[in-house]
Amino acid sequence: MLICDEYLTLASLDEAFDAMARHRGRCRIIAGATDTLPWAREGRAGDVEVPVLIDVARIPELNARRVDGTRVRLGAAVPIQRFLDDPALAKALPVMPQCAIWFADDQIRESATIGGNVINASPAADGTPPLIAHGARVELAAKRNGRIVRREMAVEDFLQGPGKTALESDELLVGLDCEALPGYGASFEKVGHRRSLVISVVCLAALVKLDATKQKIEDARLAIGGIGPVPQRLTEVESFLRAGPLTAERLEQAAEMPVALVASRSRQEYRREVVRGFVLRALMTAVRNAGGASLLAPELEAAYA
Amino acid sequence: MPDLRIEATINGRKIARNAKPHLRLLDFLRDDLGHTGTKEGCGAGECGTCSVFVDGVLLKSCLVPAAKAQGTRIETVEGLAKAGELSVLQQAFHKAGASQCGYCIPGMVMAATAALRANPFADREEIKERLGGNICRCTGYQKIFDAVELARDVQNGRRPASALAEEDAADGAFIGVNVRRLDAPSKVSGALKYAGDMVMPHMLHMAVLRSPHAHARIVSIDTSEAEAMDGVEGVITAADVPGVDGFGVFVHDQPIMARGKVRYVGEQVAAVASEDPLIARRALSKIKVVYEPLPAVFDAHEAMKAGAAVLHDYAPDNIVKHIPIRVGDVAKGFAESDLIVEETYSTQQVEHAYLEPEAGLAYVDADGVVTILSPSQNITHHRHMLSRIIAQPINKVRFIMSPVGGGFGGKEDMVYQGMLALMAMKTRRPVRVVFTREESIITTAKRHPSHTTYKMGLTRDGRIKAVEIKMISDGGAYGMSTEGVMRKAAILAAGPYAIPNVKVDTYGIYTNNTPSGAFRSFGALQTQFATETHLDICAEKLGLDPFEIRRVNAMRDGASTHTKQALKSVSLTRALDAAEKAARWEPGVPNMRGATRGDLNGEGTRPSCTLGARLAAAASPKTSEVA
Ligand SMILES: Cc1cc2nc3c(=O)[nH]c(=O)nc-3n(C[C@H](O)[C@H](O)[C@H](O)COP(=O)(O)OP(=O)(O)OC[C@H]3O[C@@H](n4cnc5c(N)ncnc54)[C@H](O)[C@@H]3O)c2cc1C
Ligand code: FES
Ligand code: FES
Repeated sequence: MLICDEYLTLASLDEAFDAMARHRGRCRIIAGATDTLPWAREGRAGDVEVPVLIDVARIPELNARRVDGTRVRLGAAVPIQRFLDDPALAKALPVMPQCAIWFADDQIRESATIGGNVINASPAADGTPPLIAHGARVELAAKRNGRIVRREMAVEDFLQGPGKTALESDELLVGLDCEALPGYGASFEKVGHRRSLVISVVCLAALVKLDATKQKIEDARLAIGGIGPVPQRLTEVESFLRAGPLTAERLEQAAEMPVALVASRSRQEYRREVVRGFVLRALMTAVRNAGGASLLAPELEAAYA
Repeated sequence: MPDLRIEATINGRKIARNAKPHLRLLDFLRDDLGHTGTKEGCGAGECGTCSVFVDGVLLKSCLVPAAKAQGTRIETVEGLAKAGELSVLQQAFHKAGASQCGYCIPGMVMAATAALRANPFADREEIKERLGGNICRCTGYQKIFDAVELARDVQNGRRPASALAEEDAADGAFIGVNVRRLDAPSKVSGALKYAGDMVMPHMLHMAVLRSPHAHARIVSIDTSEAEAMDGVEGVITAADVPGVDGFGVFVHDQPIMARGKVRYVGEQVAAVASEDPLIARRALSKIKVVYEPLPAVFDAHEAMKAGAAVLHDYAPDNIVKHIPIRVGDVAKGFAESDLIVEETYSTQQVEHAYLEPEAGLAYVDADGVVTILSPSQNITHHRHMLSRIIAQPINKVRFIMSPVGGGFGGKEDMVYQGMLALMAMKTRRPVRVVFTREESIITTAKRHPSHTTYKMGLTRDGRIKAVEIKMISDGGAYGMSTEGVMRKAAILAAGPYAIPNVKVDTYGIYTNNTPSGAFRSFGALQTQFATETHLDICAEKLGLDPFEIRRVNAMRDGASTHTKQALKSVSLTRALDAAEKAARWEPGVPNMRGATRGDLNGEGTRPSCTLGARLAAAASPKTSEVA
C-alpha cells in the first residue's frame, strides 16, 4: 500500500520543481502510477510511506508530442496508448505501435507513460529497446539557482542498470527526442510467461529500410531488452546487414551474432534460443513490412506469421 | 495532513468530497461513495475487476491515485443501466449466459463497453484483444465474446433487438436447453453485493498479522503497544479463543490463530481492528512476536523419513491420511503380464485464483447470536466447528453465505471466519476483513502437489492385468480437505478400467508448505493424469491405438468399481467414441504413423493466440491498395 500525507498535482514544470525543492528527500514523482502502486505491495516493497507524492502527469510540456520532419519529440508523460492511436506518431515511429500492442493492456497503456517506463529502468521494459532503435535521447531538467537547466543524453547512456539511471534527485525527465524513421519496416518481438499483460522475458525492436530495388538493406536498427542489465543496440548486426545482399542465409547469420550477448542472470540457455529465433523473425517481418519479399520458406510462413 | 478535494462528475451526478490523499480511485469509489460494482480482484492492475471510465477512457482504478479524479467525468458500471434498464451489452451478457460467479462481470461489461465504443464493428479477434486486460476464471470467455458480438450486432442493426429478448425454455424443460440465469441481471449491473462490498454502521476493519517463518515456536506475543494506539478498537490472538480451538474439514488441527507455534509462512498470528483500515495495518507492525525458528520440512518425501521435523504432535509420522485399496493379487497379475511399464508422474501446486479474494463481515446481533457473513462453501460445517471454538450453543452461531465470487474448492476452509467472530465478540461491533490478493494466495489452500509411482502389467492385446499406484501428496501445514482428497484420489486412481488386480496407496503428508485442500476434481486429477498418461505410453509400447487400449479395458454396464460400487450404466465407451470423432483422430499408434498426420490443426482447433488484430486491420486496406 502506498501511503502519503500529501498528494500534489502540479500544473507546470516550475511548480513541480518548487515542490520538489520544498519536499526534498521526502517526496516521490508520480506519472501514470502503474509501476509505483504495484511496487508498494506485499512481496515487493510492502507498505511504503512517502510523505509527499508529486504528480507530474498533467504538466503540459510533459504531454506534448511533436513530429517535425526528421525528429519526434515526446513529452515524458505521453501514455503508451498514443503510439497506437496517434497516426502521426505511428508513421514517424514505426516500431512503437507494435511495441504498444504487446505492452500491458488497453487500460494500463492509457495510464502508463513512456517516461515512467524509461525511469523505471527495468531490464525487460518494452519501451526502451524501441526508443534506442529510434536513436532516442532523454531531455532532463532541474531548477538550480532559480533557473531551469536542461541536459540531454542518449537513452543507452541514461540507463545504467536495473532500476538505475543517470537522473539526479532534483531532475525530472521532461521528454524524449527521437529520430523519425518513416518508411522503415518494423517488428517488435516479445516473449513472456503468457500473451496478455505480461512483463517480457526478452523483447526486441527491429527497423529496416530497403533500397529502391527492395533487394538490399539500406539501414537497419536493432535493440534488445531482457538479456542483460540494460537494453542494448545491436550495432554489429546492423553493420553486417548493411554490408551485404538481402538473403535468408545472411539474415540467419545475423541472428547468430547476438546470441553470445545473453548475460542475464536466469535461464541463459532459453534466452539464447529465444534471441536467435527473435532476431530472425523480427528481421524477416521488418523486411516484409518494408515492402520486401518474404524470405521465409513457405512451410515456415504460417508458423512465423 | 491535507485531505484531497475531489470535485468530479460520477455517473452524471456532481460530487464534491474530501478524501484521504493516499486513496486510489478504486477506494474512493467503493469506500467513500459506495459504488461497489467496481471490484478489487488484485489491486495490481492484473485482473480488470476495477475498470471504470475516466473522461471516457477505460482505466484500472486500482492503479489510479484518487487525486487524478479531480475535475474528471467518471462512469462506473452502475452508470451503464439507465433508469434501471440494462444496457444492450448488459442484456446481451444476460442472454448469452456470460456470467457465472459474476465477480469479473462488472469489469468485463465495462471493458466490452469500451471495446464497442472504440470500434462499434470490432470483430471477435479485436474484441478479445480489447478485453485482454480482464480476467474471468469461470466462463472460459467464449460466452463473454458471444455476448459482445451479439450486442455489437444489435447495436448495428444486423440483428433485431428481439435477439436479446427473454426466450422461455420450452415448458418446464431445463435439460439440453439454454436457461437464463436468474442472478445474471444483478451481476451484469454490478448491483450484487459480495461480502467485501457489504458495510454496517459502526463497522470496524480488520487486518491480520502473519507468520514470516515456515516453522517456529512462538516464544511470546506482546500486543500492548498496538492496543494502546489511537483508533485501535481490538487486538486478538489465540489467547482470545474461549472454547476448544481447532478447525478443518476432516481433522480439526488448525487453530484460529497460531497457537504455540507457526507451521507455514503466512499463517495468521494476530489481528487488529480499527475504524480506519490504515490504522489497523499500521498497528500490525506494533505487535511484537518473538519466534524461535524450528527445523522445517518442505518436501513430502523428506517429511516421511525418520527424524524429519514433526508438525503436529498427534501425527509423529507427518501422515495426514493414508488410503490403501487392495483388489486381487497384484503379484499374480504382474506374473501373468507380457509387458510391465513403470513410470513416475508429478503435478504441481496450483492456486484457485478465484477473482474474489476472501472477505467476510461478522457481528453479534441483538440477541447475542454471533453472525458471520462470508463466501464460505461449507457454512453448516463451519457453524458446528465455530460453536465449539467459541463455546457457544449452536443456536447462538449463525453463518450467512454471501455470493461466492469463485471458489473452486478454495473457500471450503474456515480460514478467517473464526477471527472475525472473535473480533466481533471482543469489540461488540461489526467487523469486516477483506484479504488482499497476496494474502489470499499466501494463506489459503492449494491443489495438492503430487508424486505418483506407477506400475502397470498388461497382456499383448492391451488387457490390464494389474496396477500398483502410490501417490505421495504434499498436504502442507494443516489437514484441511487432505483426507477427502486422498480418498477420492485413491478411489479413482486406476481409472474407469476393469482391472482384476489393483493396489493403490495415497498419502497426504504434512509439510511446512502452504496447506493443500479442495480444488476442482478433488484428487482425481492427480491420479487420473498419471493413469491416462501411463495408458498412452503402454499403448505405444504395445503398438496399439490409444482409443483401442481404453476400449479393451473400459468398464461396461453392470461393472463394479475398484472399491466395489456397482455401476448400473457406464458411458465410457460412448464418451470415447464421441471424443474420437470430435478429434478427427487418425487411428493408429501415435509414434508409428509416419511424418504426416491428417488430424492436426484444421476445423475445431485453434491456432495459438497472438495480438495485433487492430494493427492488421489498419494495415489491410493498404495491402489492397497495393494490389
Ligand atoms: C499489469 C501491468 C502490466 C504491465 N505491463 C508492462 C509491459 O508489458 N511492458 C512494460 O514495459 N511495462 C509494463 N508495466 C510496467 C509499467 O506500466 C510501465 O513501466 C509504465 O511505463 C510506467 O509508467 P508510469 O508513468 O505508469 O509509472 P510511474 O509509476 O508513475 O513511475 C515510474 C517511475 O518513474 C518515475 N517517474 C515517472 N515519470 C517521471 C518523470 N517525468 N521524471 C522523473 N521521474 C519520473 C517515478 O518516480 C517512478 O519511480 C506493467 C505494469 C502493470 C501494472
Ligand atoms: S486490475 Fe484493478 S483490481 Fe485487479
Ligand atoms: S464469472 Fe468471471 S470470474 Fe466468475
